[in-house]
Amino acid sequence: MAKHETPLLDELEKGPWPSFVTDIKRQAEKNPACWDILGQVELSYKEKITHWKHGGIVGVFGYGGGIVGRYSDLPKRFPGVEHFHTVRLNQPASKYYSTEHLRAICDKWEKYGSGMTNMHGSTGDLVLLGCRTESLEPLFYELTHELQQDLGGSGSNLRTPANCLGQSRCEWACYDTEEACHQLTMHYQDEIHRPAFPYKFKFKFSGCPNDCVAAIARSDVAVIGTWRDNIRIDQAAVKEYVAGKIPSNGGAHASRDWGKFDIQKEVIALCPTGCMWMEGGDLKIDDAECTRCMHCLNVMPRALRPGVEQGATICVGAKAPILDGAQFATMIVPFMKVSADNEFEELIEFIEKIWDWWMEVGKNRERVGETMQRIGLPTFIKVMDLEPIPQHIKEPRSNPYVFWQEEEVEGGWDRDVEEFRARHAA
Amino acid sequence: MALSRDELKAAILKKAETAPKPQLYIKDFYACDPDTKPREIKNVANDLVKEGKLMFWSSGSTTMYAMKSRIKNEEGDSGVN
Ligand code: HEM
Ligand code: HEM
Ligand code: SF4
Ligand code: SF4
Repeated sequence: MAKHETPLLDELEKGPWPSFVTDIKRQAEKNPACWDILGQVELSYKEKITHWKHGGIVGVFGYGGGIVGRYSDLPKRFPGVEHFHTVRLNQPASKYYSTEHLRAICDKWEKYGSGMTNMHGSTGDLVLLGCRTESLEPLFYELTHELQQDLGGSGSNLRTPANCLGQSRCEWACYDTEEACHQLTMHYQDEIHRPAFPYKFKFKFSGCPNDCVAAIARSDVAVIGTWRDNIRIDQAAVKEYVAGKIPSNGGAHASRDWGKFDIQKEVIALCPTGCMWMEGGDLKIDDAECTRCMHCLNVMPRALRPGVEQGATICVGAKAPILDGAQFATMIVPFMKVSADNEFEELIEFIEKIWDWWMEVGKNRERVGETMQRIGLPTFIKVMDLEPIPQHIKEPRSNPYVFWQEEEVEGGWDRDVEEFRARHAA
Repeated sequence: MALSRDELKAAILKKAETAPKPQLYIKDFYACDPDTKPREIKNVANDLVKEGKLMFWSSGSTTMYAMKSRIKNEEGDSGVN
């Protein structure tokens, strides 16, 4: 396949940052089909219209997900991208691979596909870009049989769950995110590999409110570690931070001189709920007011640690902008025990209650967050068998209305108001 | 009374055969039996795919169901994924 003139794309190689154009050119030296990616994208830049066709019936036997069909609408002109399907591979929890495994995957991909990868896609999967239809089955066979490497989710499936490093590396993890991610992935194999819903559904696991997998912004169910007792304070270490003996933020900002550490300015004054103060050289926290924002813990990790009564906050309904704008997940359950001891029973029950409701009332191509917005939070909370609590309110006056149900009112809707007013003047 | 599994399969196939558009959302099959839970209808539709009577048609972001004989082109369309 011939090279194409790509003056517009070449612009993207200028400047100090890495360039996907350079990457594709390098791969094209190995696999000439990749020249046609550049040719087709150049044409799209010129004509300001896409030449990719999406979707179709491609897949591998027994699966209804993991492969996303892509075709060129100019196959004669760009034969190298006539078929250019995407293959999603389920990443291991926390993305721990051996280099041996990665090399083996890349070897298979050079054999059957374009050799181009996306490490990793935003969903979490390891994404292989560009494969012909007839290569899908042999690739899938070798991946599963030789490398024990399964596909991830796509379409109206449960998408590949993802998690932060959690307890494998991080002292802040309030539950075992890897165990939760792995166990739920295994529990829901059918939902991951075959369509199960009116649209996509994702859950993601972060060990603490730093939320390193951005669960709250991207997942229909965000499981975010938290604690419900008090932040553990080591007052001796606080004094060392104040004296400048321990670098703040683990030394993360040490490349520049920010001056002497000022606990008042850098911690206490930045606490979003103003619940911290110094008293006789000791740091005090009114934990009932703390929103678990993690700021003070991030600045002084050796002095402050999450409490010991640990679990997770469950937020529901995030989505990226497609038709509507982007939406963050809404806090639904402030504290849930998340534990392998009972096989994550409480979480699983919660998730399936959402599915039963959403499958019934959700519209086609409507994420559960949009269904919640359309039907209203009071209904959602009721469907989930939860009691409304003040924390369900986003901000005063935006959604504070919790309505009485007829069965909760003495005498129901048909009560004799005249009789009531005789005793209580309006 | 909910339909038996076989009756439900027959109703889903009939719908897939006669619907104006060849690709159907899972929700389009709910009406085949209002007494069966959506997740069960999904399981039956997926079984029909396993049996080779229906097939999946995916845009990349949404998966639909179709009768093999009614899909002429293996390719999709341009649009969002
Ligand atoms: C042309 C004249 C006026 C215009 C265009 C106007 C417009 C508005 C608008 C757009 C709101 C916000 C409604 C909402 O988001 O809930 C509002 C609220 C309010 N306005 Fe006016 N207003 C006018 C005159 C007045 C006058 C003369 C008064 C009082 C004497 C008044 C008292 C209020 C009050 C108390 C609210 C708050 C109501 C609530 O949020 O419950 N407004 N007004
Ligand atoms: C002892 C006297 C008063 C009491 C106890 C009182 C109490 C309240 C309460 C509890 C609210 C509801 C706040 C909310 O839920 O957002 C409210 C809202 C309001 N009150 Fe009063 N109020 C008093 C006097 C007045 C007076 C004299 C005025 C006007 C001249 C007034 C104008 C308003 C208005 C406009 C609102 C709506 C404000 C808003 O929603 O943003 N109130 N009041
Ligand atoms: S989300 Fe919290 S627990 Fe997980 S890696 Fe990030 S900081 Fe650590
Ligand atoms: S975690 Fe955030 S809200 Fe809580 S005390 Fe620290 S800074 Fe304040």
